[in-house]
Amino acid sequence: MQRRQFIMLGLAAGATLATGLTLYPMLAGADKNQQQRDASLVLDALLPAILLGALPTAEAEQQQALRSTRQAVLDYLPFLPKRQQAELQQLFFLLSQQLTRLALTGHVLTLGELSLEQRLQLLSSWRDSYLQLLQQAYHGLRELLLAAYYGQPAHWQVLAYTAPEFRAYE
Amino acid sequence: MNDPIKTGLANGWRHIDAATLTEDQQFEADVVIIGTGAGGGMTAEILTQAGLSVIMLEQGALWSSSDFRQQERWAYPHLYQDGAGRKTKDQAIAILQGRTVGGSTTVNWTTSIRTPKPTLDYWQAEFGLDFSAEHSLDPYFAKAAGRLHISEWQVPPNPNNAALKRGCENLGWQYTVIERNVHGCANLGYCGMGCPLNAKQSMLVTTIPAALEAGALLVSRVSARQFQWRGEHILQLDAVPVDQHYQPTPSIKLRFKARHYVLAGGAINSPALLLRSKVPNPSGRLGKHTYLHPSVISGALFHDAVSGHAGAPQSIYSDQFVWPKGDEAGFKLEVPPVHPVLMASKLTGMAELHAGMMQKFNHLQVMIALLRDGFHPDAQGGEVQLDAHGEPVLDYPLTDYLWRGVQQAYLAMAELQFAAGAEAVMPVHQDAMLYSSWQQAKTAITDLPLKAYRAALASAHVMGGCNMSADAAKGVVDANGSHYQLQNLSVIDGSVLPSSLGANPQLTLYALAWRNSDLLAARLRG
Repeated sequence: MQRRQFIMLGLAAGATLATGLTLYPMLAGADKNQQQRDASLVLDALLPAILLGALPTAEAEQQQALRSTRQAVLDYLPFLPKRQQAELQQLFFLLSQQLTRLALTGHVLTLGELSLEQRLQLLSSWRDSYLQLLQQAYHGLRELLLAAYYGQPAHWQVLAYTAPEFRAYE
Repeated sequence: MNDPIKTGLANGWRHIDAATLTEDQQFEADVVIIGTGAGGGMTAEILTQAGLSVIMLEQGALWSSSDFRQQERWAYPHLYQDGAGRKTKDQAIAILQGRTVGGSTTVNWTTSIRTPKPTLDYWQAEFGLDFSAEHSLDPYFAKAAGRLHISEWQVPPNPNNAALKRGCENLGWQYTVIERNVHGCANLGYCGMGCPLNAKQSMLVTTIPAALEAGALLVSRVSARQFQWRGEHILQLDAVPVDQHYQPTPSIKLRFKARHYVLAGGAINSPALLLRSKVPNPSGRLGKHTYLHPSVISGALFHDAVSGHAGAPQSIYSDQFVWPKGDEAGFKLEVPPVHPVLMASKLTGMAELHAGMMQKFNHLQVMIALLRDGFHPDAQGGEVQLDAHGEPVLDYPLTDYLWRGVQQAYLAMAELQFAAGAEAVMPVHQDAMLYSSWQQAKTAITDLPLKAYRAALASAHVMGGCNMSADAAKGVVDANGSHYQLQNLSVIDGSVLPSSLGANPQLTLYALAWRNSDLLAARLRG
C-alpha cells in the first residue's frame, strides 16, 4: 500500500467512514497557497503551546517570536524529502478541516479556539497514542517547532549562548 | 580570511554548478566519481595524480569557509542530507549525514580512529576479508594520518569531554584521548557547521582542491539518477540538477560517460542509485545490512558551567563497553557538541518542562552511547528502499537485542555522569525524569519502556548496503571495491562496510579508499 493512502486511512478513517465523505480528492486539489494557509493555521495554534515558558512575556516580543518561528518552519519545510513534506501537508490539512480535526482532536472547536492547556493535552495524547502515526506526528511537529524557535539568535539570550560570527547571516 | 576554494576557482579550477545549466549536456572522462565525501574525495586525488581524467559529482553545493555561518539554521538545511531531517522509515532514528562538497567530512566532528581489530577479525571470519599481514590497512592509516594531519588532540578536553574522562577515571573505566584531523584548530566547537578556519582537514580543503588543481572537473548540485548498463558494463550515468532546496528537478538531462565509475554517495544514497538502476543483485544483499551505530543519549546537570558548544566537540571516548565478553550489543561512549537546535530537538518534552531544561543549557553535559550493530544475528541492520519519488528511505528494525543494549547504555551513561560529579541525570527518553542519585537512576532506568519513540535515538554513522565480501554470494563488491557483476563499477564509501565498525568511520574509509583507488589506478592505467 502506498504510504500516502495509508496515512489517509490511518488519520482520517474515523471521519471519512462516519460520513461517507472521501477526503482524497480535496487533498489532491489543494494548491500551494492553500497548503501554506493550512500549515500557518496549525502552526499558529501549536507554537504558543509548545513554546510555553520559552516565549518572551512582553506581548509585542511574543508576537514577533511567534511570527518569526512560523516563518522559520515554513522556510525549512522545502528542504525535507518530498515524502516527508507530503506527510506534513496531510497532517496540516487534516487538522485544518472540521471533520478530520474532530476525529484527530476530539474537539469540535478549531485548534486555535482550544485553551493552551487543551492544546498541550492534545499533543500529549498523540505522544501516548497506540497509533504509530500520531506518535510520529507528535515527535515530528515537536522537533520541527522547537528547532525553528531555538535556531534564531533572538531566542538565545536565556540560554546564555552566543555563536562566533565570521560572516553575517542572510 | 583566506578561502582556498574561492582562490582556486578564481585561478581557473573547473567547477560547474548544475543548477545554473539550462540545456541538456553530456560529459566524458576516464572516471566519473559520484559523491565527494571520505571515499569520493580521497579517490579523486589519487586517480587524478595517476594521470586519469576525473569528474566529481556532488548533490550538495560547493560551500566553503567564507560561506559557512556558525548557525545551525543555515548549516542543517544547506550541509546535511534532507536538511538534517533524515530519519529511518518509522521515524524512530534521526540520521545526520553530510550533503555538500566534502560530504560528511565537511561537517563531522573530526574523530579519527583506526578500524578496531575485533571488527577486522569478524570480517575475516564472516566474509573472508583478509586485512592482515601484507594486506594490512596500517600503511594506509599512516598515509591518511600524514595527508590529513591526524594526531592526538593536545589541548585539554572541553568540560563536556572532561566529564567523560573524569567519570572514567573515578570508575576505573578505559578511556582514550581522540586523534583529530585538524591543522591550526582554534578549538571553536563548530565542526558540525563547516569549519570557518579551514583547520579541519576535510576532503573539501585537502584532496578535492588537489584534484581540481590537477585538472579534475567538479559538478555540484547534481543528482545521479540512474546507470544505463548492458551485460557487464555501465554505458552512462543519467543525472539531473537539483533546485535551491536540493530537490532533484528533471528540467534538463545530464549524461556522464566514462571508462570507469566510482560510486561514493554514502551508505544510503549509493545503494539507492543501484536500486534505481536495477543492476544485477544475485547475492540479494544490495541495500540490505545497513548499519547505524544507533545512539542513545543521556543528559546531566552540573553545578559548574559545561558550555558543551565551546571547544573541540569530541576529544575523549571510552571503549569500556564496546567489546563485552558475552554476545550482548556493545557500545562506545562519546559526547556530542551541545548547540541550541540539536539540543532543543533532542531533549524530550515541551512547554515549561522543555523550556526549564533549555534555561540550564550551559550546565548540561551530554553523553552518547553508540551501539555496535551488525555483529549478531539479531542486529543485522536495515534495508534501503525507494519511495514513490525514487528517493531512499531506510527501514531499520529495532530488535529486542538492540533494546537490551539501549538499557545497558542508559545505565552506563548515568553511572558515569554521577561518578563525574553530576547533580542530576536525565536519560533522553519520554518517560525519564531528572534523577538525583545513581541509585535512583538505576531503578528508574530499569523500568523505562524500551520502545521506539519513547527513547530518543540518533545516528551519525551510516554503514553498509553494498557490502564487501571475498565471496560473491555474500557481498555486492569484493575487498577492492569492485562490483561483482558490473566490470567498470567500483564502490568506495561507507556502504562497503560489512558490519558497523564500533568506531567513528572516517579513518577506516580514508584507508580503504586510498588502498582501493591505488589498485584501481593501476588497473585503469595497466
